[in-house]
Amino acid sequence: MKVLLAEDDPNISIIAKISLEKLAGHTVTVVADGEHALREALTEQFDVILLDEMMPKMNGVRVCKAYKAQSANPKPVIFLSAKSQESDIREFIEIGTGFIPKPFDPMKLAKQIEDCLKGVR
Amino acid sequence: MTSIRFRMFFLLSLFTATTLTLAYVSYNTFHVFRNTRRQLEMSYVVRDEVAALNQQKPFADQLRRLQGYRAKLMPPRRMEEFSSLIQAYNEGHQANIHQRHSVFLKNEVEFQRFTREQLNYLENRLLYFAGLTMLTLAIGFIGLPLFLQRAVIKPIKSLSRKMVDFLNDRYTYQFNVPSMDEIGQMQSTFNSLAQRVISNMEQLKTLDQAKSDFLSIASHELRTPLTSIKGSLSLMRSGVVGEMNEMAANLLSIAENETDRLIRLINDILDLAKIEARKLPLTQDWNPLNQLVTVCLQSLNGLAQQAHVSLVMEAMPPIDAYMDEDRIQQVLTNLVSNAIKFSPQGGRVLVRCEVDDDSKLTVEVSDQGRGIDPQDQEAIFQKFRQATNANNPLVKGTGLGLAIARALVEQHGGEINVRSTPGEGSTFYFTLPEWRYSTGQEELVEKERAAA
Repeated sequence: MKVLLAEDDPNISIIAKISLEKLAGHTVTVVADGEHALREALTEQFDVILLDEMMPKMNGVRVCKAYKAQSANPKPVIFLSAKSQESDIREFIEIGTGFIPKPFDPMKLAKQIEDCLKGVR
Repeated sequence: MTSIRFRMFFLLSLFTATTLTLAYVSYNTFHVFRNTRRQLEMSYVVRDEVAALNQQKPFADQLRRLQGYRAKLMPPRRMEEFSSLIQAYNEGHQANIHQRHSVFLKNEVEFQRFTREQLNYLENRLLYFAGLTMLTLAIGFIGLPLFLQRAVIKPIKSLSRKMVDFLNDRYTYQFNVPSMDEIGQMQSTFNSLAQRVISNMEQLKTLDQAKSDFLSIASHELRTPLTSIKGSLSLMRSGVVGEMNEMAANLLSIAENETDRLIRLINDILDLAKIEARKLPLTQDWNPLNQLVTVCLQSLNGLAQQAHVSLVMEAMPPIDAYMDEDRIQQVLTNLVSNAIKFSPQGGRVLVRCEVDDDSKLTVEVSDQGRGIDPQDQEAIFQKFRQATNANNPLVKGTGLGLAIARALVEQHGGEINVRSTPGEGSTFYFTLPEWRYSTGQEELVEKERAAA
């Protein structure tokens, strides 16, 4: 799978990238802010897009809304967030495809993404 | 100077002086009135006596009686004339006697007429002064209370009303430009007091806000780097970076375990801080207790098996408790995992619920560990007071579990405690104040009770 990961914390992106590439064999493209993420998502073809909620320039929810509005064939969007209030989670699920709470376990990340995608089909 | 004390003193002095003056004048007038009336009465008597003398030679006792009146006649002119008359009688000159006699009688008549007018005048004066005195007294007795009411009682009442308002969080405490007297001082003191209280309250609110901010920042800022550390360590240990030698693997394992402990510690500290700062609202509802205990024991089953400890749940009446299920679950999990941790191999942990004679619901967790010394029984509920030498290294504690459990149970309005006999085991128990028998089960339970 080709994965786009938008995450502003470089450490977390490295861990997620290693986890997804080495453990699950996905290809991961990492961007560090919202605008960049939107541009990348619209130009390149990915199988799934992982968005951190709190990012500079554009937050995850705004990126997701813009992407859904502008893309001809939008791919599933999964939110990664430390926000754990029910209202936030409901919003993530309404707008995107799924939600993975932070901190995530790198050993289980690929499995969590799979579960989210299964929920759609 | 317009102090109430001064005004009070001034009014009282004025009142006293007026009353005293009036009383003095009245008394004097009455004295004159009484003397004048006496003179008038005496004048009638003397005239009758003198008239009775006629122009004959008087008897000796008659003259002696007249002598007795002589000294009392006022003014002196009458006394002199009376003396001359008596002298004339003593001398016995008829012509002289006759003349003195008629002059004296004429004068007495004149005196009587004048004195009667005088008496009328004095009587009027007396009435006038009596009226004035009554008026002053009336003004005093009505005016002073009125003054007190206006200057003292009314402002005090208004102040106390404002104080009550202040107590009820209605800040009507501002007085418009307090007057410069004692009450005014009291009002401005109250104003400053109220302002200080309000500014202190605002300070407290700021502090409270700072505490909340600290909590959210701390939880985010502490967890983020720990997430990276933990993630890196578990990836390294998973072997994605290649094989490593045994020593490196051991060191990695130590680092990972300690990171886990740090994460638990931070979670516990933040939990406790939130509970203590009332930032963790309970979402209470009626939930079956039975199910809660079952779920809790199931989740700890693996741990118990590893520790070779059996978990036993005593049959319990169907009870619903009004509680935050997650939080009570947290409390029970803490108590049961502690019990497992301190149980010897092959030991038994018993969970039971009990409703006592006072209709108090108690949940108990008993173990067969070595017990807790009486002097430690209070200490273990305090922060970071952990019993050392656990029999079992499987459950890793932070020393905050019981402190959190106590805070949570107390937030529910219950209490948590322990009874223990060293060497025989401990029983931790907590109460929940709001509970009921599950719907439809109540009669059944009553019947069971009756049968028992």
